Amino acid sequence: MTRPRKLTRWLVALVVLHCVVAGAGFFAPYDPVEQDRDHPYLPPMQVHLMDTQHHFHSRPFFYPLRLREGSFDQYQEDTAAAVPLRFFVHGADYPLLGFVPSRLHLFGADGARVYLLGSDAYGRDQLSRILFGGQVSLLAGLFGAGVTLFLGALIGMAAGYYGGWRDDLLMRTTELFLALPWLYLLFALRAFLPLTVSPLEAFLLVVVVIGMVGWARPARLVRGVVLSVKERDFVRAARGFGASDSYLMRRHILPETASVLLTQAAILVPQFVLAEMTLSFLGLGVPEPTSSWGNLLASLQPYSVLVSCWWMYLPAVAIVPFFLGYLGLASALQQRSGAYKIDEQSSWSPT
Amino acid sequence: MRYFLRRILHAVFLLFGVSLLTFLFSALTPGNYFDEMRLNPQISQATVAALRAQYQLDRPLPVRYLHWLNAVAHGELGFSFAYNSPVGPLLWVRARNTLLLTITATLLAWLLALPLGVWSASRLGRAPDRVLSWTTATLLVIPDLVLALGLLILAVRTGWFPTGGLATVDFENMSPLHKLRDLASHLTLPVTALVLATLPMLVRHVRASVAEVLDAPFLRAAVGHGISQPKLLYGYALRAAANPLISLFGFSVGTLLSGSLLVEVVMSWPGLGPLLLEAILARDLYVVIGGVLLSMIFLVSGNLLADVLLYWADPRIRIAASAK
Amino acid sequence: MREERFFTRRCCITAGFFLACASFLPLPINGFPHPQQTNRKEELLALPGEIGRSGGRVVISLRAEPKTLNPLTATDLSSREVIGAMQADLVHINRATQLTEPALAKSWKISPDGLQYTLTLRRGLRFSDGHSLGADDVLFTFRVYLDESIHAPQRDLLIVAGKPITVRQVGAETLIFQFAKPYGVEERLFDGLTILPRHLLEKPYQEGRLAQIWTPSTPPNEWAGLGPFRLKEYVAGQKLVLERNPYYWKTDANGNRLPYLDELVFLFVPSADAQVLRFQSGETDIITRLGAENFSVLARGQRGYTMADAGPGLEYNFLFFNLNDLGDKSSSELTRKQKWFREVRFRQAISAAVDRDAIVRLVYQGRGSALWGPVTPGNRRWANASIPHSPRSLERARALLKEAGFSWSTARNAESALQDSDGKPVEFSILTSSSNADRTKMAALLQDDLKQLGMRVQVVPLEFRSLLDRVTQTKEYDACLLGLASFDTDPNSDINVWLSSGGTHLWNPSQSHPSTTWEAEIDRLMEQQLATAGYDQRKKLYDRVQEILAQNQPMIFLASPDILVGAKNSIANLHPAVLEPYVLWNVEQLYLRNGAENASR
Repeated sequence: MTRPRKLTRWLVALVVLHCVVAGAGFFAPYDPVEQDRDHPYLPPMQVHLMDTQHHFHSRPFFYPLRLREGSFDQYQEDTAAAVPLRFFVHGADYPLLGFVPSRLHLFGADGARVYLLGSDAYGRDQLSRILFGGQVSLLAGLFGAGVTLFLGALIGMAAGYYGGWRDDLLMRTTELFLALPWLYLLFALRAFLPLTVSPLEAFLLVVVVIGMVGWARPARLVRGVVLSVKERDFVRAARGFGASDSYLMRRHILPETASVLLTQAAILVPQFVLAEMTLSFLGLGVPEPTSSWGNLLASLQPYSVLVSCWWMYLPAVAIVPFFLGYLGLASALQQRSGAYKIDEQSSWSPT
Repeated sequence: MRYFLRRILHAVFLLFGVSLLTFLFSALTPGNYFDEMRLNPQISQATVAALRAQYQLDRPLPVRYLHWLNAVAHGELGFSFAYNSPVGPLLWVRARNTLLLTITATLLAWLLALPLGVWSASRLGRAPDRVLSWTTATLLVIPDLVLALGLLILAVRTGWFPTGGLATVDFENMSPLHKLRDLASHLTLPVTALVLATLPMLVRHVRASVAEVLDAPFLRAAVGHGISQPKLLYGYALRAAANPLISLFGFSVGTLLSGSLLVEVVMSWPGLGPLLLEAILARDLYVVIGGVLLSMIFLVSGNLLADVLLYWADPRIRIAASAK
Repeated sequence: MREERFFTRRCCITAGFFLACASFLPLPINGFPHPQQTNRKEELLALPGEIGRSGGRVVISLRAEPKTLNPLTATDLSSREVIGAMQADLVHINRATQLTEPALAKSWKISPDGLQYTLTLRRGLRFSDGHSLGADDVLFTFRVYLDESIHAPQRDLLIVAGKPITVRQVGAETLIFQFAKPYGVEERLFDGLTILPRHLLEKPYQEGRLAQIWTPSTPPNEWAGLGPFRLKEYVAGQKLVLERNPYYWKTDANGNRLPYLDELVFLFVPSADAQVLRFQSGETDIITRLGAENFSVLARGQRGYTMADAGPGLEYNFLFFNLNDLGDKSSSELTRKQKWFREVRFRQAISAAVDRDAIVRLVYQGRGSALWGPVTPGNRRWANASIPHSPRSLERARALLKEAGFSWSTARNAESALQDSDGKPVEFSILTSSSNADRTKMAALLQDDLKQLGMRVQVVPLEFRSLLDRVTQTKEYDACLLGLASFDTDPNSDINVWLSSGGTHLWNPSQSHPSTTWEAEIDRLMEQQLATAGYDQRKKLYDRVQEILAQNQPMIFLASPDILVGAKNSIANLHPAVLEPYVLWNVEQLYLRNGAENASR
């Protein structure tokens, strides 16, 4: 029984990771858009237990960083003032799970800001930005995958079930969509948008378009399953009993596609997160000041940041456990479903 | 024969459909390019008039589409405002650069993926296989964006490789041997980035399909016959597992033009990607259409190639096709 | 410099005669060998300064490929930069001193009524293809500039008081330029007006295709110019190579013909960051237009190259609002917002709330200056010192808004939102150019500043051409953050920005008549200073213009960056200036130090 255990392991890991991101407001010490103009590009602060006089403190503390004299980007620790770290503090407001107002944060400090992962060009806390950015990127991935799978299932089902000219037409359309360069389509669509598009609307657009472009592959897979299930005995029996098309599709065929859909979900979510990151990196995704993982990586583009601010890489590190989790989940699901289907899905990149 | 005809017809249909979609979306994009062209003193009125006539802008959409098709069939892909030259030659130079990069990377990736995948499949579940699995898993979870950025930093820190571009300033004056070396050094980083991005998935697929085949009875029979391991793996198993891999190869060919956009942008490789990105941002309409069309032709050709190769390589398909 | 005469005409002829005779003698005249054969009949300009050695090549990167080598159609920066190294003008502004000096014209005289400028050409000069330069070339040049069918950008510069200037020849080398009214800019006008070769361009002009020729891929033998370098080779997508012009008309103090360098190579490197990479790895020798962050990175590891901060430049960055009268074409949204934008106190409040120090610190890393007007500290001659440099004050901003009828609501999360007198929340968007990282950063800082006043602002990065389209053509935008860089210190260089009829009068361009009293006043003052001669008078008028701008804030001025450049240590004679071209303005005098023949790998 190793397989179910593997599956649950990955599932649990993913759920934990998602909970951390969902609870970004709690885990992040500060508001991600709050600027601190005296501390741009601050390197990560070190948390100490032993101070410079070699006294041991039971409560971890940190030294605030100050700009070195005459420099604009070199910092040094101000060892005169040790600021203790406090846990379960009241800080900036945030809506827990989107609607419950709350002020409780896991940790924080009085008097100075603690930057565990450094700060960006405007002095905003990177840790908070990564956590909240994860919300945006993961939601984009999940919603996008949802839209894609919904469309794919619908079309694949119709094509597989009805067959004939409808099948042919839908499959040709599928191939057409597989041949479209989604990136270019997205860019052009962005040009259609009205000028003042709020971050929410931009986000929704990204989701919808990615979702609409990617339905082709799941549709084909679903169609394949439907074709094979359609002729199975229990379906024939149900039809014999006078079941309508929609009843058959809903009650008998759809559950069979579940495993394919789940596996596809596990593969598509990271692909779409990556797509959102690409778009934001190229400047077409979620706008300032909202953070998304792609946005955060885009701030690496200037050469000066690339070379001197290593902590701006950390969003990439944050992504890795998620992708790993989804990859593990996908392969566990595939193994569980028995057949390891090789399809034309050949790379992570949506192009 | 009929099989081929059907596939070719199929490909042509796809091209039409795709061209129609591109044309439609191009016709709907905001902005009036001909007004802008008229204001540009570098473009003579005769050119503007000629282009207007060619594209029949004042006519209804279906007529415009036909004229556009006609122009494309004659190789005239329009006029670029940003570069003030016809689109065709512009695209061709850039596409050539992209193909240089992607063909090298694809060949390398496949040449590495096949032996690695087969070797891994033959030692399924044991230490080497697991190491490889973990390596590919790690590479897979690193976005190719980060890979490209990381390699760029490597170039900057060590100075071993040039940091972008196709050739150094002196290229024209170098001896052929030096030219080759120079080109190779400029190609190294972008090719590495592309290979690292595509290799993991290829290896996984090769491994998976070969592993599936290794269980088959006929292979056990071959082992029983005493056929040597390498011959077994490459001569028999790989050939039996070729079907999905050929489709995959067709897909690789199909994305030769469009798959390297990010790497080209990050590494300043003067290929099709950066040109199209610029053109989209500058709303240089005809460059966008031309580029999209070109990459779609490749995609469709890739599929066609895969179909042809499958027919040739897989007897089951040959039989199925002739049976129809 | 109103009048300069080095030689009288008779003196010229006699000297020329003797020199011509001397050139036939077998012995060199002065007893020491001349390194390059010079035609003694040429009247060359001897430049003061360091003497260098001949030879070598310098590679410099360009952000974009030049669209054209034709001065009549070059509007983009890259084209202008390349053309600058290949062409010459009659009178040139020395970028270091910011004063005029003779160039192709060896002297000039302005008549007392200011309506006639008499210029005398140097004799015996030749184009880069060996063809001699004469007054007919100058006549042809100005005829072409003023020709309406060509739409040359220079045409606007040559129309004074509504009438184009006229040129006529009154002697072998003397030309008279006639103005309808006195022109305050005087001989600075001629800087940048390159003299075109009639022998190559007359035919295309008559055939009507003058605007299409001289693309970068022109064969070198179809091109000619008077600059230090001439066209050698163009490789599309990669580089443009210029070689020394053997007929160049300047020499150094020892009489050696300039330029020192054999070749000047422009490499096309599409992004600022890629340019830095290339410079750091040694592939390029000079880097200009550096942002402050990249400058710091390069300054930290100066191996084989030196970085220099040339001081405050002439670029000014600002925020402006859509104050166009759109009538029916405007949406109700925009009309509502324009009610706020037109309120002077609204704009003054925003100006008070902007954290200019943060902009200088975070965007320019201290290498810049805060601005309260369009004249930067780099332009000492024309800055109005009495404009108040008020520090940031949110209280003053809030007071101004309250006066103007705005109020604050308490929305949820206790974030107070600003609302107008009708109770609608104050929200608008700021357009910026997506390719300019500095301005996008400024916009993000502004967004946060205005949030503290309760305004919700969105930053919308848009591609530059689309942005210009929106601002100047369709006028569909709320606010925009842009920057302008004057090409000269003289106020006239930006006249189209301040005149209400100007095309770059960004907040309400190309008006048929001024829509507000203060804009009318600015129009009057600008036109007056244009027709006034004498610095003191003009300064008083321009000071008043700056005061009006400060009171009415059509543009909220933010900050100005310093000019930051870098070059390899092997390049000598570098004197970065704050006027364009920052480093190549004295390219003819740049040379490579000993032991550095090939500047790059």
